[in-house]
Amino acid sequence: MTRILTIEDEHDIRRFLRTTLGANDMTVIEAETGKAGLQKASSQSPDVILLDLGLPDMDGMDIIRQLREWGRIPIIVLSARGQESDKIEALELGADDYLTKPFSAGELIARIKVALRHANRPQGDAPFTYDYDGLSIDAAARRVRLDGEDVHLTPIEYKLLAVLARNSGKVLTHGALLNEVWGKHSQDSQTYLRIHTQHLREKLKDDALNPRFIVTEPGIGYRLKP
Amino acid sequence: MSPDIRPDPDKLLALIGNDEGERARGHLKIFFGSSAGVGKTFAMLTEARRRQAEGRDVMIGVVEHHGRAETRALVEGLPVLPLQAIDHRGVTVHEFDLDAALVRKPSLILMDEFAHTNAPNSRHPKRWQDVEELLDNGIDVYTTLNVQHLDSINDQVARLTGIWVKETVPDTIFDSADEIALIDTPSDELLKRLAEGKVYVAEGANKRAAENFFKKSNLLALREIALRRTAERVDAQSDELNAAMGQNEAQVGQKIMLLIGPDPLSTRLIRHAKRMATRGRAPWYAVYLQSERHERLDEKGRTRIEQYLRLAESLGAQIVRLSGMRPAQDILAYAQQNGFTRIVVGYRRPKWWLRPFRGTFAQHLIEASDGIEITVVHGATGTAREPVTAGAIIRPFLARPLDYGLATAGVALGTAIAFPFREVTPSNNLAMIYLTVVVIVAARLGLGPSILASMLSVPAFNFFFTDPYYTFNFYDSYYYVTFAFMLVTSLVVGSLTARLSRHARLVSNRERETQILYGLTRGLSAVRGIDAICEVAIRHLSGPFSLDVTVFVRTPSGLQPYPQGIITTDMREMGAVNWVSANGLMAGRDTDTMPSANGLYLPLLAEKETFGVLGLTARDAGHPFNGAEILQFEAFASLIAGALQRTRRSDEAAESKVESENEKLRNVLLSSLSHDLRTPLTVMNNSVSTLLRMRKELPRKAMDELTGLWSQLTRLQKFVGNLLDMAAITSGHMKLNFQPYMIQEIIGAALGQVQATKEDRTIGTNISGNLPMVMIDGGLIEQVFINLLENAFQHTRTNGRLDIYVEKDADRLRVRISDDGDGLKDGDEARIFEQFQKGQTLRSDRSGGTGLGLAICRGIVQAHGGMIYAKNNRTLGQNAGSHGASFIFTLPIAPALPEGNLPESAL
Repeated sequence: MTRILTIEDEHDIRRFLRTTLGANDMTVIEAETGKAGLQKASSQSPDVILLDLGLPDMDGMDIIRQLREWGRIPIIVLSARGQESDKIEALELGADDYLTKPFSAGELIARIKVALRHANRPQGDAPFTYDYDGLSIDAAARRVRLDGEDVHLTPIEYKLLAVLARNSGKVLTHGALLNEVWGKHSQDSQTYLRIHTQHLREKLKDDALNPRFIVTEPGIGYRLKP
Repeated sequence: MSPDIRPDPDKLLALIGNDEGERARGHLKIFFGSSAGVGKTFAMLTEARRRQAEGRDVMIGVVEHHGRAETRALVEGLPVLPLQAIDHRGVTVHEFDLDAALVRKPSLILMDEFAHTNAPNSRHPKRWQDVEELLDNGIDVYTTLNVQHLDSINDQVARLTGIWVKETVPDTIFDSADEIALIDTPSDELLKRLAEGKVYVAEGANKRAAENFFKKSNLLALREIALRRTAERVDAQSDELNAAMGQNEAQVGQKIMLLIGPDPLSTRLIRHAKRMATRGRAPWYAVYLQSERHERLDEKGRTRIEQYLRLAESLGAQIVRLSGMRPAQDILAYAQQNGFTRIVVGYRRPKWWLRPFRGTFAQHLIEASDGIEITVVHGATGTAREPVTAGAIIRPFLARPLDYGLATAGVALGTAIAFPFREVTPSNNLAMIYLTVVVIVAARLGLGPSILASMLSVPAFNFFFTDPYYTFNFYDSYYYVTFAFMLVTSLVVGSLTARLSRHARLVSNRERETQILYGLTRGLSAVRGIDAICEVAIRHLSGPFSLDVTVFVRTPSGLQPYPQGIITTDMREMGAVNWVSANGLMAGRDTDTMPSANGLYLPLLAEKETFGVLGLTARDAGHPFNGAEILQFEAFASLIAGALQRTRRSDEAAESKVESENEKLRNVLLSSLSHDLRTPLTVMNNSVSTLLRMRKELPRKAMDELTGLWSQLTRLQKFVGNLLDMAAITSGHMKLNFQPYMIQEIIGAALGQVQATKEDRTIGTNISGNLPMVMIDGGLIEQVFINLLENAFQHTRTNGRLDIYVEKDADRLRVRISDDGDGLKDGDEARIFEQFQKGQTLRSDRSGGTGLGLAICRGIVQAHGGMIYAKNNRTLGQNAGSHGASFIFTLPIAPALPEGNLPESAL
């Protein structure tokens, strides 16, 4: 059974999470405060943590920081609409995904599934494979095929695609992408990132208007399907 | 580029501002020629017809065709503004109707003969002033002008041709024209036209003078002057631009001072200095030193001074009035302190009998000048001199007869005091008593009585105190010397004392003015509110000047007069007051505008805004206001205006404080409301969706109810979300995170978000592949697209079609979202972007919008410096479709990358 820790101060949201998750065969561990959440995260070792950023006793960012100090349990952040900068900060501190309130049960379950898949995936530079909708990547062979044909990418484009694919389904912030691909930022990096992404899309016969693989998350970053 | 020649952005902006001001102000084009007959009117009419053909609303204000057929033919077809008949001493004169023109308000009006003098009782004495008012009201004006009518050229032309032209236009007006078209006809051609009778020449006595004027030598000279004057103007304009661009090539630091006196030579000096300043591209100042000599000037002399100062001002000079006892030193000190490089002064040869005694002022100036260039302009013999009237000579001696009686009595009293000492002290000592009397008389009664006292003292001394007593004889011839010294000493001491006391009076007058100003300032700063300010102003001004003072304060409902209850019934006075209020310039008695009014009306101006009008009527109706007084009144007016402005500012501040408190409260309410509503809604919505998934366990009826509940909850959730956004926008808490994006990425994300709500609608995208990137807050602009798309869904059928167009427009991208619904109702275009306003929805049964979606779009787009508007497609021209509406907004383009090449890895 999958164990989910919800760190949320609103009673009704907790109840909703309990019902929804329970209906999907998940076990729910509840914490009302940040402190209790941290304590339960270490003692009960949940599979996924749902963390509300607006807790009364602790800053949500501090909780992520402390959780990341000792473990890699996937964290999904629950936040309000319009707080893009909070989402970016949370993601860059190591949160895995975010959900914008109000969210539906379906969305919630889908995000938890992506997070679980990630937790089971090899970390770091270890070879991986990706196969979705005709696009396949074999990291060990450094080979990209689209609809059965080889795609030739420049080193930067490949690096970009590889980072996205290793984290597929998860939003990567602009900052995270720049760090992973180039290692450092300059003032114009954002523009370069856009241009390289655009070239990558062209080679993958993808369309920003109707994305087949690379999805834009305005204000936050990119995500590779699924 | 070195830093000192970098363009000064403020100056450039001011220059651009000038342009814009002039655009709002109406455009003035002068058709400028060297003399009559060169074809100015013809050229003006030809161009006007061209403008008319282009669709402009052209109208003739005044055009003199002087019966010439070719001109008359051009007038035909152009609408003519009827002239108004003005009755002047039983003669009906036809003049341009300014008010009718302002009411009719054509786009362009033709005003022939720029220098024309209007009939008395017209609003302005001069046509160029009418033109100024037309321009101020945004009407473009074409006009014609001959070179000899330009003020600064006037005397040059007179010397050349012997004809004085009285109708002149100030050079400042000429220089401020937007466009000068020089109409140049070779002199021979002009003479030929004259011979053919194609040039209008006045009839009668003027005819000979006019024929004299049209000599070839004159025409050549005039032509040269006209060409040069036009060239100077072009120079001046390029200087203005160069100065703003930091490339000022004009002589650095040149500053010219012109000294003005009552001598008629001053007019020549003024024009000379003006030309000097124009050539040297230097600022120039006309200075009048108000010495004790000013006190001795008669009314005519003082009026002349004012005229000269005004002439200088109209030629672009700054006016300065100084006062001092030692003219040469005082002027040089002022010049040195204020960085003048050159002083222009007039010179007249003194009369032969004065030469040994008195140097001229110019000589004094040259001797004392240190490093300042002095230009002396010689007033040639034969030119008009300062008229020496009997009045001017005897003026210093003018005193009341009583004063002379008192002087005589003083001498008698001196005699009486000295008498008892006749035998005890030498008579020479007694002469001292007479000297004392002279000094006292001089100090108290002035020069005339003191001279009388001096004259009387000598015979009195002789009669009473020299042996033999009681005769005018004396034994000792030594007394000749005594008498001579006594007379000379008393005259000199007397005149010096009189002069000193006159100066003391001058100083005390000034002191009094300062006192009034000070009192007014203190009074005004102590009170609050319009009523109190007006009361203080009236109290401080009416007393010392024997004036009737009225303050008219501008209010939203019109001009409110103070003291309250005063109603000015005289149409002429009220006309002047309204004119001053509307134009922000002074008018009325002793001014250029409506001089026939009884009162003098000054605008209450503070920071270029008119707060009202100060009306001053002299109780002594015969007393004219001189320039110095008017200047003083202007100072008072600006003080009062300042006080009114402060009052209004504090009122506004109080209002805006209340406003901002309200705003704050509203925002706090909005955000807490949004938050408190959001949580239960999320919970309810999720509970209902959980229930909806238990399809098999619930009766069908319950499922129907739940579905309805779910859709209403979703709607409510969206509404609350919008409220939160709106609160963020209106409270100014929205922080924008600008990043470069391909617009396609944002549109793609937004299209993904509306998948669920678009039903069977088709959304087409018409976006060129090579658009530049935009610099935007991605999340917020995505929201704009979502809101606009969802808004369009409200107004189209479920199988309708939407299209998104993006194109580059200068430095922005323009996005248009077009739908095929029923379009906007008239008047809805602007209204729908307001908060809580909804357009007509297509289907009233459908859940309508929240009334906030478009307001949010507007807030976001405006925060990006863009604009957003809606139009019906049929108003957008071809290709836009015949029905449905378009929502259009603009987005800023991201700056281009520094290099064209895209670095592959080295970032």
